[in-house]
Amino acid sequence: MTVDVGPVGDFEDRRFRIVQAGALEVGVLRWSDRFFAVHNRCPHQKGPVCLGVVSGRLGGSAPGSMEVDEETPVLSCPWHGWEFDLTRGRALWDESYAVKTVPVRVEQGRVLLEVGRGQSAG
Amino acid sequence: MYSGPVIDCDVHHARNTDAELIQYLSKGWREYVTDRGPAGNVPLTVQDGFPNPHGFMRADTYPKNGGEPGSDYATMLEQLLAASDLRRAVLTFGDDSHVAGHHNPYFAAELARAMNDWSVERWLSQDPRLCSSIMVGSQLPDVAAAEVRRHAQTPRMVQVMLVDNPFNRGFGHPVFHPIYAAAEETGRPVAIHGGAGGWANPPSTGGGSVSTYLETHVLWPQAIQTHLVSFIAHGVFEKYPRLRLVLIEAGSAWLPSLLWRFDTEYKGLRREVPWLKKLPSEYFAEHVWVTTQPLEIAPRKENVVELLRSMGLEDRLVYSSDYPHWDADEIEYLSTRLPAEWHDRIFLRNACNLYGWNAEEIAVPKVRAVTK
Repeated sequence: MTVDVGPVGDFEDRRFRIVQAGALEVGVLRWSDRFFAVHNRCPHQKGPVCLGVVSGRLGGSAPGSMEVDEETPVLSCPWHGWEFDLTRGRALWDESYAVKTVPVRVEQGRVLLEVGRGQSAG
Repeated sequence: MYSGPVIDCDVHHARNTDAELIQYLSKGWREYVTDRGPAGNVPLTVQDGFPNPHGFMRADTYPKNGGEPGSDYATMLEQLLAASDLRRAVLTFGDDSHVAGHHNPYFAAELARAMNDWSVERWLSQDPRLCSSIMVGSQLPDVAAAEVRRHAQTPRMVQVMLVDNPFNRGFGHPVFHPIYAAAEETGRPVAIHGGAGGWANPPSTGGGSVSTYLETHVLWPQAIQTHLVSFIAHGVFEKYPRLRLVLIEAGSAWLPSLLWRFDTEYKGLRREVPWLKKLPSEYFAEHVWVTTQPLEIAPRKENVVELLRSMGLEDRLVYSSDYPHWDADEIEYLSTRLPAEWHDRIFLRNACNLYGWNAEEIAVPKVRAVTK
């Protein structure tokens, strides 16, 4: 099922907007000209993950260095700070741990989510 | 009871007189230390402020001909080296090990150099099974690193040992890194021995100072926990990927609790230390060894065994007696507290992995004289 969640212009850059898409509460993020959407529920303790901090992925090529990868937005859950790579939904410290991603696309200036089979409220 | 070959990773050797050490000081430092008239020598050793009410040494380890426990090779031979099938003993000094607790960094560096020469000449020369720690005055990390490199070609100077903490910073702090660069370069593990308590050392307990030896001894693991967490958080094992670390005399059953907590906290606070590429427990499993003494005693020994097993410590524990100290663990006793299938690893093979020794060569059966 395709759900229209509004015009692109309604989405502030680097800010999650929480929308209802069928039975799912989904966080939609505009990251420059890219969009990401994930189920607003952390796999850890079911916290509202999309209320957390979003930033480029922080890394360090050596102890003491702090580098940012702007191509990879990372979401930190406001409960406990667990971080997820939004390009794939995976936790940064364990590939097997993930937030549920929701397919998102832009058509004719509208942001569309694809929810349906396999996209239950879980 | 285990009766196979043994490597003992914590044996305290000691000196009897100041003169033993003073002869290894440079001429200038000898002059500084001596010639004070009735005031005697400048103290060479910093003192721990907590007296043990019944003494720090096993009463039976005082040599028959006088002197300090751990100071007489013949006594050590009888009581330790010949008392089991001991193949290597790693010497860890006595009160002199608190050299990094001296206020004067230059004096500490010179003392450390002298202690190491004393250890090579007075001890390693007596028995090929003896190996020694390299003590460093970590107050001057670059000088300490040079001291490590000075022993690069002396294979039986097997590890760099830290005890006291001159900077009030966990040992992972970059101020100490020159020492680790030298350790990695020369293939020596870094050892951290519990019990820091010298003059310039910060309180070795968290939350505040304590009042009795009982309290400080119970809480020895706290300082070691600080250093272990500091090592991992500062990315020491990312910066020095071949570095090995051994934690001495702080117990081991607390490690699962600490590392479980560390892994959990890391998941939420990774942003602060993005140079880490693995879970803290993974760094531990790849880089850290732990001595057995003092093994925690639970009412049911299975409780301790299960804790140790949960963190894979059967492959990281190395036997240590702590001879001649009051709380030394005997091989016979320890072998009753740990599963028999672990003995070969804990008494021999894990230490070989730590120090880069060939277990098959070390464990080769002793040749016995044949009598007709």
